[in-house]
Amino acid sequence: MILKNMKLTVVFMFFLFGTMNAFALDEGGATAKQVVEKFQADLIEVMKDGKKLGYAGRYEKLKESVSNSHELTKIARIVVGKEWEKLSEEQQQKLVDVFSQLSIASYAHNFKDYSGESFVFDSEEETTRGGVVVHSHLVIPDDKPVKFDYMLKENGNSWRIINIIANGVSDLALKRSEYTTILQREGFDVLITKINEKINNYSKQ
Amino acid sequence: MNRLHKGNRSVKMQYTFSGFLIVIALTLGGCATTGDVEQQTVVSKTDPYESFNRKIFGFNDSVDNYVAEPISNAYKWITPQFMQTGVFNFFNNLKNVNVVINDVLQAKFSQSAEDTGRFAINSTIGLGGLVDVAKHVGLEQNEEDFEQTLAVWGVPQGSYLVLPILGPSTARGIPGAVFDTAANPVSYIGMPVQLLSMLNARASAEGALKFINEAALDPYVFTRESFLQWRNHLATDGKAEASFDIDGLEDESLEGDNGAAFSQDSSGDANASDKPGFALRLDEKTKEIEQVSYSFSSVAQSFDATAKSFEQAGNKLDELKKLRRRR
Repeated sequence: MILKNMKLTVVFMFFLFGTMNAFALDEGGATAKQVVEKFQADLIEVMKDGKKLGYAGRYEKLKESVSNSHELTKIARIVVGKEWEKLSEEQQQKLVDVFSQLSIASYAHNFKDYSGESFVFDSEEETTRGGVVVHSHLVIPDDKPVKFDYMLKENGNSWRIINIIANGVSDLALKRSEYTTILQREGFDVLITKINEKINNYSKQ
Repeated sequence: MNRLHKGNRSVKMQYTFSGFLIVIALTLGGCATTGDVEQQTVVSKTDPYESFNRKIFGFNDSVDNYVAEPISNAYKWITPQFMQTGVFNFFNNLKNVNVVINDVLQAKFSQSAEDTGRFAINSTIGLGGLVDVAKHVGLEQNEEDFEQTLAVWGVPQGSYLVLPILGPSTARGIPGAVFDTAANPVSYIGMPVQLLSMLNARASAEGALKFINEAALDPYVFTRESFLQWRNHLATDGKAEASFDIDGLEDESLEGDNGAAFSQDSSGDANASDKPGFALRLDEKTKEIEQVSYSFSSVAQSFDATAKSFEQAGNKLDELKKLRRRR
């Protein structure tokens, strides 16, 4: 009996190390699922320490996590659609910069406290063009769960998040409509001003 | 959905709120002055009346700022949280009459049984709906309404419309709302209760409106896109593959020069592309009044299609039954 228990323990230990190793591989060769789960784990951690860290602390912690898991440059590019081609190189760089700041700031602002939420992995599927969709949901105590679907693309040897679809609302499509509308109606400078205003507002609370 | 405003735990979960509350809320719109930029350069397939819609959106926004929000804040200030929750549960429970009807019309029979059970439990043990007991038994609130039923029956979505006071809708949403109102007991109770229902709707929308205010660069577009995507998600019971449109998006922007295809929005396309002729594309010279009249004709078409689909309701149900059985 004792032997059997020991065997189980050993198996369990191997299993544990196995998963830990998988996480350690993060920088190179992490699978789509691992990238998403690592990011979600970081989010939950930041939420748990939310109060203590304050906005600046959350921003600092999430900066690395978001940039490592999201393909921010590509997202910024898709979000402005064909207007991208019309921007000068400087403007493109500026856009990517403020867009990245905004993405991190909105995470830092919105994920600030913790009341028992957790992410659960549901399934993984490949899309027709070599992307992967990771289906998961956020469990919220006393509330309906929220479906989170992550679209990932392979970049070099790691996977990066390129779109998040929450309860059927695609973040990328939403932002793209907004950004292209503003670019066409009001121009590049107004867009940048508006983004900076948002970042500023996020940092105040 | 029970707790009305718990701060911002998540960016995304609030989208749900926004969609949900937009449908029932008094005034939506939420925020920020809509800078009146006259020239309409962006013609979206689903939103051909954008410049007109933007004006109504601006109007709704002022009504919200000066009337609805102050009243709602007063309501929240004088009413203890448990009473607000009770009021929310009460109206939510009455809505289940409508939900059950629409379950049946969409041939979701087992769900209709669950929702009937939900309504029965909450109306009795739940003290006439004040306490959401059913949730603890594992019966979640389902979101069904006539607009979704019409979508399931194949009535095209039509163009996006912002209605005065009522907020975002679509051509299909208007006949939908007419039936929903008729099927909701609240409509027959009378004024004080209806007023409370509106207060409750605005108070529950608080979180969503706050979120739009914080996150939207262009509140009009933000509301439109999240509304259309969310409605589409509901109509298809979450099976709509929003996930695939990213491939399309990417192509457009990276290879980038098929301008015509580009000006259209991704959302709601699944429905918008059902049948042409509903989302009318206007040429730039068209005057506003004509746009409005177009919009009326598009609504009229929706009513038409609604009437037709009612005539064929029997057949539709049979088809749906077969479909669901096969799954």
